[in-house]
Amino acid sequence: MKEISKLSLLLPLALLIAAVVQDVNMLSNSEHSITSIYIREYFIIFALILSLPLIYKQKWASDRNVLRGLRSLFFLILFTCFLLIMSNDLLNTFYDHVFTKNKLYENAGNYFFLLAWTFFSTIFVLITLGSLRNLIYIKRKKATARNFTWLMIFLLLYPLFSLPESFKYMNWLSNNWLDKFRYVILFILINLMVVNSFRVAWINYLNKKQKLACFWGGFFLVPIQLYFAFKFHELNPVEIFSPVLGKFVDTSIILLTIYVVIAFLALLAHLPTAQLYDRKIRQISSLHHLSRAVSSEFDIEKLVVTIVKLAIEVTEADFSWLELLDQKSGELQLASSQNLRDAEMKSRKPSFTDPLSLWLKNNKDPFLNNQVNKSQVAKNLCKWKKDLNSLLAVPLIMGDEIIGFLYAGKKVEFGFEYDDADMLRAFCEQAVVAVENTRLVEESIVKERLEQELKIAHEAQMKLLPKDMPRLPDIELDAVCITANEVGGDYYDFFQIDKNRLGVVIGDVSGKGPSAAFYMAEVKGIMEALAKANQTPKNLLVPTNATLYRNFDRNTFISMIYGIIDVKRKVFSFCRAGHCPVLMLKPDEEKCELLEPKGLGLGLDAGILFEKTLQQVDMPLQEGYIYLLYTDGVTEARNRLGEEFGEERLAQVFTAAKDLSAYEIKKRIIHEIYTFFDGENATDDMTFIVIKALNNKKKI
Amino acid sequence: MENFNVNRIDKEDISVLYISGFLDAHTAPELEEAIQKLIDGQRYKLVINFKDLSYISSAGLGVFMGFIEQIREHSGDIKMSNMTPKIFRVFDLLGFPTLYDIVEDETLAIIKFRS
Repeated sequence: MKEISKLSLLLPLALLIAAVVQDVNMLSNSEHSITSIYIREYFIIFALILSLPLIYKQKWASDRNVLRGLRSLFFLILFTCFLLIMSNDLLNTFYDHVFTKNKLYENAGNYFFLLAWTFFSTIFVLITLGSLRNLIYIKRKKATARNFTWLMIFLLLYPLFSLPESFKYMNWLSNNWLDKFRYVILFILINLMVVNSFRVAWINYLNKKQKLACFWGGFFLVPIQLYFAFKFHELNPVEIFSPVLGKFVDTSIILLTIYVVIAFLALLAHLPTAQLYDRKIRQISSLHHLSRAVSSEFDIEKLVVTIVKLAIEVTEADFSWLELLDQKSGELQLASSQNLRDAEMKSRKPSFTDPLSLWLKNNKDPFLNNQVNKSQVAKNLCKWKKDLNSLLAVPLIMGDEIIGFLYAGKKVEFGFEYDDADMLRAFCEQAVVAVENTRLVEESIVKERLEQELKIAHEAQMKLLPKDMPRLPDIELDAVCITANEVGGDYYDFFQIDKNRLGVVIGDVSGKGPSAAFYMAEVKGIMEALAKANQTPKNLLVPTNATLYRNFDRNTFISMIYGIIDVKRKVFSFCRAGHCPVLMLKPDEEKCELLEPKGLGLGLDAGILFEKTLQQVDMPLQEGYIYLLYTDGVTEARNRLGEEFGEERLAQVFTAAKDLSAYEIKKRIIHEIYTFFDGENATDDMTFIVIKALNNKKKI
Repeated sequence: MENFNVNRIDKEDISVLYISGFLDAHTAPELEEAIQKLIDGQRYKLVINFKDLSYISSAGLGVFMGFIEQIREHSGDIKMSNMTPKIFRVFDLLGFPTLYDIVEDETLAIIKFRS
């Protein structure tokens, strides 16, 4: 397609060259028939029609770079006008005498001079018409293209019907008819020119500065263009070369002049409102920026900076600041400011009880005062900011609650208008949404992080607990740790000391969550390292306590029972370091005993007191003895009514299950706890260990 | 979840903190804040009245451990009073009575400070 359109430009060129060749022939033999002049004129008209698509392909002055197009047009007109003035004398010589066709062929110099003018002004007209078309097409409507095309058609028709006298007989119509027809065409043409010339929407795209530049450009261009149009009409070098083309160029220049004048007048009409118009545009774009920030900015720190910056843009204030309600403290805080001095930022103590805050709170309307020094309501504010003379303050309202205030100030009096207040209020409504969004996102991020931490803590805890139950001759062992949703810090473990002895530990780290899991790991490491070297529970717990005391935070401690099952001696010896007591069931007894030797929790004391207090007891582990070690999560388990499971209930369940195996005792206790819960969730870890000495005889 | 509350009454150089409700890992920071305020104000003689406390967890116990060294360094103390048997049981199991003065009544704690 592109190639075809390029070829289409070659055709008018070829036609013109044909005309010129014919002319050159005439130059040499000065013999010219009327017919050949007709043919020549037809050639030129065809060439013109064929080159018209050029107008529609202009890239100049499209709506993306109106100003650049205008500038090019301006200089093109200036240049052409200059050329015309320079050629003035020479062109005048053609008109000194009565024009005849012969004159054209008198000498080759004159001929080529006119030919050059013809080429140049035709191209000039095609370019300017193209630019005009682009200007007219800016913000085009349905009728725009149609009107312009009709204008082009009539622009071509008019020269065809207004040929000079000598050409009139070539028409089949009588002169009278032709004249009437010409006037009708002229009338329509002028109408079309005016209609098209009112398409000056591009002025709206200019900002105030650009409008001023255009005004000064127009100020020079209008007289120059008028002069140029008259001068061209008077001299019209093209008309000598070809009457039809000359008329076309002349009419086109008149069209250009009408457009320039109307555009200039329209620009004049726009100038007084240019500033207001600019401001509105800026306000709308600030609002647009804010609504973009609403959807993309989730960092409250950055958001408040954006809000204050845009507030200054919206109101053209000298300074602005934003005070927001801090959700934690419930107090008003200076969230962000622009163009405030450091000292002012420090000395600002926002408060809900300030008269201005109260006014805003009660009225829920913007506060506007252009002589704020005389205002009683803003007295405190003026004391704080000495150079404040015009003040605009807007409350930020979320639902019914005031979440902050946005202030804009100017150093001059009468700095704000009422539409500034409306604008800032609309702006604040957007800002509230933005602030609310960031807060919601922040909350959900915190929540997600907590859940992630919980998951990690949970996994850590699970890894710290033993995977298999150790096997011992004549002893049944079973243990369980039922973890709460939130890691409770329960821990149990077994250490094989030698083939007859097994270390058993149950503990509860104070605190919850990841830190509890972390401390658990520390305890496991220390005990694992010390278990083999220290052969009695007390000997292990004393150095363990010392190490933990050094490493723990002061508010962290562990309650623990550490015992050693000695299969050979049939003894269960243990120490209770601040932990829940041990339940013991002797064979053939209906009531269990509570074993509660003295002992401090680990990590509470540096060592002396701990060692002094800690008691070790050696209990029999003959056949039929059952021990239950548990954490407070079991006894403190609460049901829906807030009742605790309690030591007594545990003792009852334990006693009732004494004839079962360790595994079944464990299952029974779990079952009883869940029955007690009745659908309620555990809030703390629940751990217990069952140790049951087997009946040898039974086994044999 | 039940609430937790701290109320403070100053009796000359002794401050009495009345704690009530549930003291666990979630509410412990409130008590920490209250005691930290006293320390910031250089008040080192504390009586904690447990009369209305219905539950205490290990994290709650940890709060006292966190401050006791600092307070004793300034020749102050934390004395505890009016514990219900249930609360006392928790303290007792851990061996707190060897670490702290736990007395029957608030006035007794104050008298102990005076002597």
